[in-house]
Amino acid sequence: MTYFNFPHIEEDDNLKNLRNDVKSFLKTTFNSNNIKPQADAWMYSANPEFSKKLGEKGWLGMSFPKKYGGREKTMLERYVITEELLVAGAPVAAHWIADRQSGSQIIRYGTEEQKKEIIPKISSGECFFAIGMSEPDSGSDLASVKTFAKKTDDCWELTGRKIWSTGAHLSHYMIVLARTEKLDEKNRHSGLSQFLVNLKLPGVEINPIEDMTHQKHFNETVFNNIKLNKDALLGEEGMGWQQVVGELALERSGPERFLSHYILLDNFICEFRYKMSEMGITSLGKIISELQTLRMMSFSIAWMIQEKKSPDVQAAFVKEAGNVFEKKLIETIREMSNLIPFEKWSSSLKSLFQDATLRIPANSLRGGTSEIMRGIISKQLGLR
Amino acid sequence: MKDEAKIILDICNKILLKNVDHHLRLNLEPISTQFKTLKDEIISSELTKLLVKEDLGGAGMTLTDIIPIVQLSAQYGTPIPFIETIISNFLLSELNVKPENDFITLTNKTENIQIKKDKISGNFKSIPYLNLVEKILVETEIKNQKYIILFKKGGKLKLQKNFLSEPKFDLDASELEIISMMEKPEQIDVQNLLINVRSIQSFGAMEKILKLCIEYCSQRKQFGRTLSKFQMIQNHISEIALEVAASGASLSTLKNNNKNFYNLKSTAIPKIRTGIASGKVIALSHQVHGAMGFTKEYELSYFTKALNSWRNEFGNEIYWQNILGKLFLNQNKNLWEFLNH
Repeated sequence: MTYFNFPHIEEDDNLKNLRNDVKSFLKTTFNSNNIKPQADAWMYSANPEFSKKLGEKGWLGMSFPKKYGGREKTMLERYVITEELLVAGAPVAAHWIADRQSGSQIIRYGTEEQKKEIIPKISSGECFFAIGMSEPDSGSDLASVKTFAKKTDDCWELTGRKIWSTGAHLSHYMIVLARTEKLDEKNRHSGLSQFLVNLKLPGVEINPIEDMTHQKHFNETVFNNIKLNKDALLGEEGMGWQQVVGELALERSGPERFLSHYILLDNFICEFRYKMSEMGITSLGKIISELQTLRMMSFSIAWMIQEKKSPDVQAAFVKEAGNVFEKKLIETIREMSNLIPFEKWSSSLKSLFQDATLRIPANSLRGGTSEIMRGIISKQLGLR
Repeated sequence: MKDEAKIILDICNKILLKNVDHHLRLNLEPISTQFKTLKDEIISSELTKLLVKEDLGGAGMTLTDIIPIVQLSAQYGTPIPFIETIISNFLLSELNVKPENDFITLTNKTENIQIKKDKISGNFKSIPYLNLVEKILVETEIKNQKYIILFKKGGKLKLQKNFLSEPKFDLDASELEIISMMEKPEQIDVQNLLINVRSIQSFGAMEKILKLCIEYCSQRKQFGRTLSKFQMIQNHISEIALEVAASGASLSTLKNNNKNFYNLKSTAIPKIRTGIASGKVIALSHQVHGAMGFTKEYELSYFTKALNSWRNEFGNEIYWQNILGKLFLNQNKNLWEFLNH
């Protein structure tokens, strides 16, 4: 009767030692480079130099084959590193998408040439990616994308607009989901393909979009009939939907779905540790229980991916439960402050809290809205 | 799962599938044929001795091994002291006492205990299924020493006002015959063990509730279409599924190490998480079932009543949140160290 299994995976000594190594590295690197921890750092805090240092340590492209410059480590090792980077608020935004999902897509679907060309650069922290899924008229309804790639004798001609492309202005490539056949309303998921698009090509226009926090981390990316070589096709023509679903599982299941604002929680505890009311302590116990459960779920998914399983639905659980957790976290921190007025909090804590409060509405939108996650779960349960 | 554990789970499944239904739950009497048949099959298949050491005649399984069996029993809504007997026999076995060949029940809620010449007197609280057993195992403290005592039932049983799932009794005992009495080994924490059993049972019951919701909403039609096609209903059921999944994951550390059944942190995390989930699952499952779920005849209420009973035992999740919060604050660690330790 078990509907959704999250197998228990034990963190062994090798992983524990790896955690310690990452911690030591971060401490040293933050101090010597005057890096300040940030909340939601995987979206807002890009530092290409830091990404390169991670590459030098061998902590990017962890699971990729050695022959393409990867490290042939496990997804669990990658998971541990990812957690430690998030918890430290490290500036990981530049390489995040490339390391999390784009590289894996290329390994899985790319040609030998694509792998040789790009994977070593991802692993060294020198090649960044943006996501090319959403469009101005296609948000949650991804199958309705209008960006079109027309096949000619010698190339693909790509025309369309992608939106909410985080970090496109810093990125070298974008994996673009495009129609390669006209929309068939009876089979909306057919006729889609993925393309590996070099963002430096002529005809690519990247326009920043200022978000409600006055930051310009995401963009509109316009393709004005750009010419792509035949080998820009990623994977199989017409199989874009199937490919993108797998990519979304990588996007949704990671610890960034519940550790984006961990640094706020940690700073809050440091400041209020000895001033908490019984109610605050009680709320803290709830946070600990929920957070540890989410970690178990996400770690288990990392193992499932490692074992070549398809935890698409489990990923939707982590995404949705993580979003709910982080939204509650902000509210709970307000309750836990034991009637100490916000004005009396330290300036660094106030800053983190304000950033988190302003940024939190995006959590349940990026990577698929809550409504989409619940739709995926319903479908799996046979309700749709 | 080991092959042996799979075989045992299969045997258990067959027995419960054949014998447990809502009729049994609503007509639970020690003299009923249905109860006697179920009991005979469970006892004769030695399922109550799964945790008993092999040299005492048991299967020698571990606490982590029997998680799927506790879960399965709760999925079936098994209204008998099956799991209570497994745990009681386990405790006896840990004390090198032979297991019982009958159902027994247990409690650790005792007051005014006195022992005189192999006789026990005192007040025993919240004893599940006392009407279906002849012997009781208790953990109690006498002069700063904890004991585990098996004694014969007697005296007056007082049926507690409970959540109407499993019957629970208080017992005022006077000079009842002790069968075994041993000092409790320090490494065993009976209360945490019982709490963890309840967390596993809660997870199993919530899985069953999810199944009932899916089945009911896929069959019942309103406004010309099945309930499952309404987005609001899908939303409710997906939230139930999410809570069920999180509850299962929260039990993860118990699967790792038998000692975690006694560990405070490993106990608090699933106790809190399954407690939170239970509240949501009870409310949402009744909402999607409408009036049908509120009837005695339809089985949903058996499971939601069980959840309400279990989540309020040994302190509710709010109580345990406070314990877990203090456990962290009293250690000289930052939160990340605490979580990873």
